[in-house]
Amino acid sequence: MTPAVLEIRDIAKAFTIPSVRRTTVREHIFGFFRPRSHQRLQVLDGVSFDLRAGETLAILGLNGAGKSTLLKIIAGVYSADRGTVVARAPITPILELGVGWNGDLDAVDNVLLLGTLMGLSLRQARAAIDEILAFAGLERFANLELKHFSSGMASRLAYAVAFKAVREVLVLDEIFAVGDLGFRARCEARYRELRAAGHSVLLVSHDPKPVIEFCDRALLLDGGRIVSEGSGRDIFEAYVRLGG
Amino acid sequence: MTPTVDVRGLLWTLIRTDFKVRYHGTVMGFLWALMKPAAMFLVLMTVFSLIFATDPHYKLNLLIGLYLWEFFAEGTKVGLTALAAKGYLLAKTRLPRWILIVTAPSNSLLTLLVVSVVLLVTLAVAGPRPPLVCVGLFVLLLVQLVLIVIGFALGTSSLFLRYRDLNQIWEVVVHAGFFLAPIVYPLGIMPQRFHVYLYLWPPTPIIQYARMLLVEGQVPTARALALLAGVTAVVFVTGLLLYRRFAPAAAEHL
Repeated sequence: MTPAVLEIRDIAKAFTIPSVRRTTVREHIFGFFRPRSHQRLQVLDGVSFDLRAGETLAILGLNGAGKSTLLKIIAGVYSADRGTVVARAPITPILELGVGWNGDLDAVDNVLLLGTLMGLSLRQARAAIDEILAFAGLERFANLELKHFSSGMASRLAYAVAFKAVREVLVLDEIFAVGDLGFRARCEARYRELRAAGHSVLLVSHDPKPVIEFCDRALLLDGGRIVSEGSGRDIFEAYVRLGG
Repeated sequence: MTPTVDVRGLLWTLIRTDFKVRYHGTVMGFLWALMKPAAMFLVLMTVFSLIFATDPHYKLNLLIGLYLWEFFAEGTKVGLTALAAKGYLLAKTRLPRWILIVTAPSNSLLTLLVVSVVLLVTLAVAGPRPPLVCVGLFVLLLVQLVLIVIGFALGTSSLFLRYRDLNQIWEVVVHAGFFLAPIVYPLGIMPQRFHVYLYLWPPTPIIQYARMLLVEGQVPTARALALLAGVTAVVFVTGLLLYRRFAPAAAEHL
């Protein structure tokens, strides 16, 4: 068995939801003598698994099962209440495509911005501009401000940057299915290259295609716990049954 | 959080991006940044130089006070909302939060640096020529001013996510603070017994010492400089402690 590049142990996370939300100093002062009740929402409760080197692992679950919270903890956006995340290789989290875009900047500046946000050095990002624009099929629009792009063009550019910025472990949250058929084919080809190169991928998706075609293994999350584990196909079927 | 980005490259990209977005496409570009303090200076000079006509350095003192104040006011205001303004990055990317905070006042910092260089060159050419040691200490004052603004931003930007009217409260404090600091009036017109309180407001010692160094060519006492260094350290360390306490959960309060 290949070694684990990511070890998730006993992760727990709860959010405290007040009966009345107070978000200003004024509300806190005037509400001082009106105590609030708080509800505790346990989103994750003792989640443990390994992601092995070169493996593609899917996490499935209904809305509210805790998938995105789990990925955010792995990505370092949220801190866990309990448990540990041990990463033995650099992680590239892509929790949303094109996060950080600036519509007032052109495609080149956005590639530099997004590339450095995703972990490329400025030098790497500069060197990759032509390659990224070519992958997205947007060479002619290099100096066009992003606000004039269609949503499809912007998504293609975001994908192209994301694929260039990939480090050893890739964490993906629902970012499949953008672009036309040709672009999807390029993405799938690039994805196969990444697998062949030994990258590990942890992905969340409601789409059966990537789960069944690309994943070596899958986990089903329900009520903040892992309730079953198996092949992509088996777990996707279990997920469909869970949804009724 | 362990940095997983090229920190220097990202700092430069964010600063460059903010600058470009703010001034790109405007007819006068960066000169717009200088227009507000320049217009303010002209208005205040026209009114108050008549009142303080006996002070031969009034205009120069006003200019120094005003541009240092402008950096403090603008820097703290944008610093306070730094994390909220870039909340989309906070919620979806793995980057050290402090990068978003320290880059927020970059446009104000650029204005501060440009005006400082112009001021020092003008003083060297047209006088009064401050001694080199005074210029060195003035640069040290600027560093302390920047540290105060960044310390404030580190502390308050995480708190702002929990208390969304902090910016309005700070706006009121800044308005009052403009008159608390001796910007449009010489400190000497205030009764001596109030001076100690006025010096507790960090812009006051910065502005007063800058005037002493550049206009009068005098070095403040070691005790005075040490006290200012102490105030700077307290503001910065307090900001850092608040940042360490609240920033890790910042994404949960967006």
